[in-house]
Amino acid sequence: MSAQPATPRAAPADRRTSTIQKRSSLLPRPASIVLDDTVLIAQHAQLTGSFPITAGPNTVLHPHSKISSALAPVVLGEGTIVYERAKVGVGSGAGDGRIESQEGGVGGGRGEGTVLGRYVVVETNAIVEAAEVGEGSVVEVGALVGRGCVVGKFCTITASTVLFPNTRIPDYTVVFAGSEHRIDKTMRDRDEARMLKIGMHRKQLEMFKKLVPNNAAKWRVG
Amino acid sequence: MAQPFPYTYYSCDCYDSNTTAASAKRASQQPPPADDEDERTFDPRNLRSNYSLYPLEHLLYCEDCQQIRCPRCVIEETLAWFCPACLFEVPSSVIKSDGNRCTRNCYNCPVCTSTMTVNSLDDPDDPSSSGGPYILSCSYCHWSSHEIGIEFEKHTGITSQLSRIANGGRPVPTQKERDKERERRKDADARKRDGRDVLSGSDDSPTTDRERDDTPPSHEDLFSNLAAFYKAQINAQSPTPFSQHDVSFSSPASYARIMNLYSTSSAKKQKREKPSPMRESSSVLEGLTVFDPATDAAAIERIKKEGWSSTLSPAQKLAQVNPNIRFESELRPTASLLCTKRGKRCRSCRHILAKPEAKITSTRYKIKLLALNHIPRLSLRALPIPSTSQPAAAGASSSATTPAFNYNALKSGIPTHFLLHLSNPLFDPIRVTLATSSTTPGKVQSRVTILCPQFEVGANTDVWDDALTSSLSPVKRAPALNADGQIEAGKIWNHGRNWTSVVIEVVPGFLKPIVGFSLGEDGKKEDEELDEDEDVLEIPIFVRIEFEADVNAEDRGLGDSRGAKEGARERREEAFWTVVGVGRVAPM
Repeated sequence: MSAQPATPRAAPADRRTSTIQKRSSLLPRPASIVLDDTVLIAQHAQLTGSFPITAGPNTVLHPHSKISSALAPVVLGEGTIVYERAKVGVGSGAGDGRIESQEGGVGGGRGEGTVLGRYVVVETNAIVEAAEVGEGSVVEVGALVGRGCVVGKFCTITASTVLFPNTRIPDYTVVFAGSEHRIDKTMRDRDEARMLKIGMHRKQLEMFKKLVPNNAAKWRVG
Repeated sequence: MAQPFPYTYYSCDCYDSNTTAASAKRASQQPPPADDEDERTFDPRNLRSNYSLYPLEHLLYCEDCQQIRCPRCVIEETLAWFCPACLFEVPSSVIKSDGNRCTRNCYNCPVCTSTMTVNSLDDPDDPSSSGGPYILSCSYCHWSSHEIGIEFEKHTGITSQLSRIANGGRPVPTQKERDKERERRKDADARKRDGRDVLSGSDDSPTTDRERDDTPPSHEDLFSNLAAFYKAQINAQSPTPFSQHDVSFSSPASYARIMNLYSTSSAKKQKREKPSPMRESSSVLEGLTVFDPATDAAAIERIKKEGWSSTLSPAQKLAQVNPNIRFESELRPTASLLCTKRGKRCRSCRHILAKPEAKITSTRYKIKLLALNHIPRLSLRALPIPSTSQPAAAGASSSATTPAFNYNALKSGIPTHFLLHLSNPLFDPIRVTLATSSTTPGKVQSRVTILCPQFEVGANTDVWDDALTSSLSPVKRAPALNADGQIEAGKIWNHGRNWTSVVIEVVPGFLKPIVGFSLGEDGKKEDEELDEDEDVLEIPIFVRIEFEADVNAEDRGLGDSRGAKEGARERREEAFWTVVGVGRVAPM
């Protein structure tokens, strides 16, 4: 479980040790979680780490999704969906985070922190450690977006693709077949395509609100 | 067919075994190994034998010929064609006329070859009545027909709409329009040539002709021009209308001349002229592709401007109808290739061996004659020897003390015991005879001894049958060790309802000849290096089974002629070679 290693890495001095309530979870709570009122966090979702985690309106976190701010803060934009067993946050990848950080930022890499833009979808089992993921992008099942990556808007990282750290993906790119890139001209040129996509996304958000019980209250208090 | 050790391969009889490779290659080696009754041993190292060895699961069995049939001995015949995308069955008559691609809405993406779907590019705020313009889009790489400038009005009948639009939205002329256009141009050219007078003005409209000449003719235009030209040539060759149908055009000029000599009546003598021989096309209107260095220069400029990513890979080009395109904007969606459902027949007697169900989506087979159901299965595993020196009271069973047997590291020179397990799929008990040469063929000679070459295996009855007709003698489950703990020869190791296991003793050979150890060679220096896979220990075993089977009542007409009554038993035997792969000999 990737959330467990967060414990030795978190600096104890940063954490506020407010023990007003007895927490049911044994995992360390992030120092500050800023949740909008419309955020939907399912049961068994995990938010861990010492840096702040911010979630914009209408964000949906599915069961067993893991947001880890152990090494850097995480910002989820409006309408972001994080599916089951997906991991967002620097250091979520299989223990390579520390090794990569020693190489330093090369080329288009960016500093600390993970920012997911509006309407980003992180599908099941994906791992997103990127510095930034642009609006409307989709990280498909099992993909691995390395640390410091900058992904443009309306991109698609197809299933099981591995993006090495500090890769820069321009807007409207589709990364498929391992290492092939191409620009999705339909999305770029046609406004209707983008509007249709966002419309579908909004409908999905409504459905989730009706189907998934919301456990966000647990994370608001304290 | 790389399989992990230990494996068993069966040899099909189609193997042409005229060569005795082992003895031919090494005349200096020891005398040829002991032969079986057929005066030859199967050599798995022979290059040819690779083509006849198959795992049991790959083999079919012909009941008429009573023989194994390998994939090379079967004839495949297609039963049905279907499109893998829409799962629609296409009758064979349509295949002959329309070809082997789907003619409905199934197209493959030209970039990534996955199936494309028809999506609507509707403005969600201002929906149009027909559902907006439709595009073909790929769900994997997100290519869509928008990138080549094609949009459809309706979401069905994609094929007809696609054939009418070229890339960029320009309409494609139909056949009739092309013909008319071609005729018009030919007349214009002819008139220009005839009445060429520099000073006189031209009658045609020069502007329209010139601007049309700028765009090079497309692939389809060239094809239709060429086809029309050849049709005209063929028509010009034939002297009479009738001969078009029954004349072969291998030598049209000479044939036409001879026909002219004998068929024309005297009234038409003056028309008897030598028909001109068929010529090739000589202009663009006749389908000639004229090389223009300007197109190459334009292509180079385009690459400079748009970059490498706008060009096509060889795989993408080959999948296209027009193989001469270079750039992404010239791509067209390719129609899905149809798949087939095939049945297999025996090559010699045409008996059906495997026939799938007619329903496209079902994977079951109506007829399935597998070798698994007719040939006993041999399998090998290492036999852990209980060491007699260790006290049994140690409490450790023999399997716990020895680590897992490593098939990739057999020890040279040390007798190793293996358990050969035969299971019988037939409903009658069989008598099995095994035979193998005393040393394995090849560079690394290992000595093989089958401790019990003849034994019986029980019938494959139901479990309940077996329990009901309980065995008279208690089933001896103890292994056949004699008092010393040595494995007895001539006795089976263990047996069950339909299986028996016997012990094989193998002494793996040495990878390098030991100095001073005479192996029958003369003093010439052998190459020390072993070829790849020479250290693999493979044992060719000849298996012969004898059993009594009911005379098959379905034998077509033969049952009566033999005068056999129902229920009469006939003695049958089958024999085949197998190669048992034991493992690799570890280098010392």
